[in-house]
Amino acid sequence: MIAIAISGADFLREHLRARMTLAMLVVLPALFVLVSASVLGEFAKALGGSVADDSASALGAGWAAAFLAGALGFFQVASSREADRRLALAGMGAGRVAVARISASILLGLFVSAVAFGTLWLVAGIAHPAHAFVAILIFALIYIGIGTLVGSFISEPLEGSLTVAFIFLIDAFSGPGMSGGGGIAQLMPTRKAADVLIAAGAGQSSPAGDWIAVGLTTLGALLLAAGAFWFSARPRSA
Amino acid sequence: MAVLRAEGIEKGFHRGLPPRRRRIEVLRGASLEVGRGELVGLVGENGSGKSTLMKIVVGLLERDAGTIERAGKLGYCPQTPLLWEKLTVAEHFELFSRAYELGPAEASSATESLLSELQFERYRDYRIEDLSGGTRQKLNLALALMHSPDLLLLDEPYSGFDWETYLRFWEMSERRRDDGMGILIVSHLISERDRLDRIYELREGRCQET
Repeated sequence: MIAIAISGADFLREHLRARMTLAMLVVLPALFVLVSASVLGEFAKALGGSVADDSASALGAGWAAAFLAGALGFFQVASSREADRRLALAGMGAGRVAVARISASILLGLFVSAVAFGTLWLVAGIAHPAHAFVAILIFALIYIGIGTLVGSFISEPLEGSLTVAFIFLIDAFSGPGMSGGGGIAQLMPTRKAADVLIAAGAGQSSPAGDWIAVGLTTLGALLLAAGAFWFSARPRSA
Repeated sequence: MAVLRAEGIEKGFHRGLPPRRRRIEVLRGASLEVGRGELVGLVGENGSGKSTLMKIVVGLLERDAGTIERAGKLGYCPQTPLLWEKLTVAEHFELFSRAYELGPAEASSATESLLSELQFERYRDYRIEDLSGGTRQKLNLALALMHSPDLLLLDEPYSGFDWETYLRFWEMSERRRDDGMGILIVSHLISERDRLDRIYELREGRCQET
């Protein structure tokens, strides 16, 4: 267990030592929240929906955490696949490598969620801070699952990050308040998390059913991420 | 006593998209054996399948047919260094010592010994991104050796080495061979043939002992 924790810390350090990555982890969530109130409101109108400024700021924080966590999840799988496989083969095993990787991803998700939430708190204030933070974190965790899944099939950085960005855009612009909400919008993974976040932004609580739905979606995303990490690190039978 | 026995290994790859999709057979029943205290070479032309066979033996690639038997601990040095760019040399040794389940004293002793033997102690706290190709390759090799494996698989492990390091590499290999380690090394230099106990040549997907 200690070996997994230390290895997870190594994987986390690997990302935090990249100055550009670190700068993006701090700057992007803040920018998303700062511009989202006006931009998301305008987009919503253009798409036939409507989002209040407070809810738009809250959604911006969620999307910031989602996008960064998804991109980091992708790069965690795609950029270190061969080295992770070597480590698994050396005796750590694909399962322990996967647990170390997912621990690092969750900590990175917590970090970007905290930055996004902190900016939201400072810029817009929030009536239900605990609800908002959990919902932002859920956005990040769901996108860790999406990013790692993409990374397990696509290893090229350009193609992979574009795929994550494409899923993100479809998800964001079909979300609640942004469009009519029918069709594909009902199937998007962050649908219920967005409902919870919009409600928290507007100072309202969410029904238990929504929390159960986001809990199950998050659990599914984390299992997906664990599977993707394991799949990438697993040695082939010799 | 054999530490590695591979028999009838077959491997093919699909290339291209329909209707031009085709299958390339790389290995067509390759067999080889490495005994304890043996330094065995695997030679062949570019694209003959040496690295494919090595990856199959290690367990990084699935085979289509054949059997592989390995005995004892395995050490593997890939052709291209598989390392983490932002971690330091010391952190790599720590990461692999945990994978090999070495105790603190054993890990420290192995690390110091290999840093000294390959003469790159001063790079201990350097990140991989700041190392030259040759120093990366030294670390790549050292990580395969740190748990004193019974079977060592080396896929052109000296690319990027200067002449002195290249000679030291062969001294290290011969010393370990004399201590009982079985070593299989992918090589393509004729000058190295005298250093090897036996040589397999991979030709048309099969290994022939020369």
